[in-house]
Amino acid sequence: MWKEIGDRERGILRPKSFTTRIKSNRIRTLQISNHKDIVSPHRASINSLQVDLTEGRYLLSGAADASAAVYDVQRATDYEGGGLIAKHKCLFVVDKQHEHGHKYAISSAIWYPVDTGLFITGSHDHHINVWDTNTTQVVMNFKMPGKVYRTAMSSLATTHMLIAAGTEDVQVRLCDIASGAFSHTLSGHRDGVMTVEWSTSSEWVLVTGGCDGAIRFWDIRRAGCFLVLDQSHSQLGRRPTIPEHSATNKALTSKSLSSGQNLNAKPRAQQRKLANGNGTKQSPVGRMPAKGSLRQRLHPGMLSSLDRATAHYGAVTGLKATEDGMYLLSAGSDSRLRLWDVESGCNTLVNFETVRLQAGKPIQLATSQDSALVFVPCMTAVKAFDVWSGNTSQTFRGHYEYVNSCWFSSQEQELYTGGNDKQILVWSPPRMKDLLRIGITGVIDICS
Amino acid sequence: MDKTSEEASSKGKKRQRDQQPTDPQTNQPHHQIFSLEDNLSFTDTLVALRMMRAQFPRIDKVSIQPFILRSQLYSSVKDRTQVDRELESLRREKVVRIFKLNTGQDDHAIMFLDDYLNQMENVVKRLEEKEGDQVFKWFRTHVIDSKLEPSIEHQELYTLLSLGGMVKDGHISLLINAGLLTRQLIDPNMYWFAIPNIGSVLKGLSQGRKEVLSFLNRRRYKEMMLASMEKKCLRFSPLDMRFHLRDLIGSGHLKTVQTSTGLLVRVSKD
Repeated sequence: MWKEIGDRERGILRPKSFTTRIKSNRIRTLQISNHKDIVSPHRASINSLQVDLTEGRYLLSGAADASAAVYDVQRATDYEGGGLIAKHKCLFVVDKQHEHGHKYAISSAIWYPVDTGLFITGSHDHHINVWDTNTTQVVMNFKMPGKVYRTAMSSLATTHMLIAAGTEDVQVRLCDIASGAFSHTLSGHRDGVMTVEWSTSSEWVLVTGGCDGAIRFWDIRRAGCFLVLDQSHSQLGRRPTIPEHSATNKALTSKSLSSGQNLNAKPRAQQRKLANGNGTKQSPVGRMPAKGSLRQRLHPGMLSSLDRATAHYGAVTGLKATEDGMYLLSAGSDSRLRLWDVESGCNTLVNFETVRLQAGKPIQLATSQDSALVFVPCMTAVKAFDVWSGNTSQTFRGHYEYVNSCWFSSQEQELYTGGNDKQILVWSPPRMKDLLRIGITGVIDICS
Repeated sequence: MDKTSEEASSKGKKRQRDQQPTDPQTNQPHHQIFSLEDNLSFTDTLVALRMMRAQFPRIDKVSIQPFILRSQLYSSVKDRTQVDRELESLRREKVVRIFKLNTGQDDHAIMFLDDYLNQMENVVKRLEEKEGDQVFKWFRTHVIDSKLEPSIEHQELYTLLSLGGMVKDGHISLLINAGLLTRQLIDPNMYWFAIPNIGSVLKGLSQGRKEVLSFLNRRRYKEMMLASMEKKCLRFSPLDMRFHLRDLIGSGHLKTVQTSTGLLVRVSKD
């Protein structure tokens, strides 16, 4: 590290590369924190964790005993161990005793992306509550037709304030905070929707993963989804290769380019599949006459509901988009983690060495700041995988039971994980100050 | 390195007589001389596939062409992403075919296309006398050639088969009865491609896996030296120990640890 500082001083290293180097060095030495501890007031498993997006200071956790708590992760409430260990107690808790609190488990607790004045909780009691943080009162309440599995708000949105809710019901509902009503529903999934994420590149694009194993991309300004990820469509590498047999495929590729991302017509979907096959033999079948009559009865935007492609062999339990919005990571109950190229809609075939992943509950994945590492809760451990090669970079073992969610704070380079053992653990790089202090006291002992 | 001389040095001459009948590789003599430790890692996916195909155990009761499980490839080639990508390009070039098996989570069997066609021929020959044998010809020329994925939709199957002639629902039942297609449990309109006549081998596969894992779990420290493991004979599985060990190591249930006396096989905790 001293060499980097010296280089920066002399101007050999640019400021941006200096910060990324220091940050990635720190991330590589993550271990269970010996100077920070979060005291969790929850009495049941922790289902959701999120640090606010504006300051990176307040951690919100939602647990299965219908309680949600907020902690300040930058300033400790008190110190222990002679000032060496910082204890972070919760700033407040809202639980079943609250007059408008939830009755059953909270499955998802998120901050309002613009500021920390509001937070939104979704629970298994079919309600989504919008809370005012300063007064801890429920400002708005939405009733859903089934248990709420995930709620999400877009951090890029400037024109809308919609909460996307994934529930047991097959339809994804969008709730509007400004008006207090549902704005519209998105149908297409054939089973409950376990994960919902907004795209990190567009405020209008929503990605949902369902219990039927499908991952669908929705543009909320239109009906129907525009892309369904299929695990059999794959590309060999980060980006698709330029087709070599451009002469034979010219007609096909030009047609697929003109139709763009719109997979809302079955014959076009066929041609798109062939174009992605990169030079495989042309199938003589391009049309399906029997389906013609069926197609006429459906709105063209709703044709995507006929597409039964699956992204996983089980339910999709976790989704995470990379910061640049070009790749999507998905975790499924078939214990596979897949990396998708959003632009081409293909599976990049990166193999992450996951042996088993939790199947019944949605899990929360986290990526490091330049999306080089992904932190995945694998049963009782959290594993960090390299996103491009799939190798396991680190394993964090500390929880006594299954881990449900993890959140990486890129400001502090700290990882917060919560699991069924009711604990929130902090994983941080070792502090230089501690190493120096121990060194000094060691010297004094020897002298005296 | 001679296997017999290795045994002679470690255990004494008496062991040789016990080992000969359990060794199934009677038709590939030059592969016998390598112990499992030596051929646990390969450098390339195609090389690994060919070598494992050559080492496929011979089963006396059922005539089945060699197939390789995906987890076996993962245990032998270091980089899993490279394996996935190379398999994908081999599949697209129609060198191999991939089938999804129903024995547990995400099991895939890889078979060379020629082997699969041979297997199909053997099965179809026995059903030749029935009148619907046209279906098998249509299946082979139109469906297998153009549909490379492990599953197919009902509508697509119908249209591809109709390229050969008039298709009736009875024809599709014939294909299912022959074992070439199976219905998907989650979706009534989709079929999986399947390897015909493989049922008893798959049963042996899942029972063999359970047997190997329970054998290791019953031991005090849940581990055993690889060299002594490979000599054990499995009671419930027609496939040999090497097949099962590769599969379990690749799927993560077992892990190998290098020790000063050789490789050690241990049950892995998640």
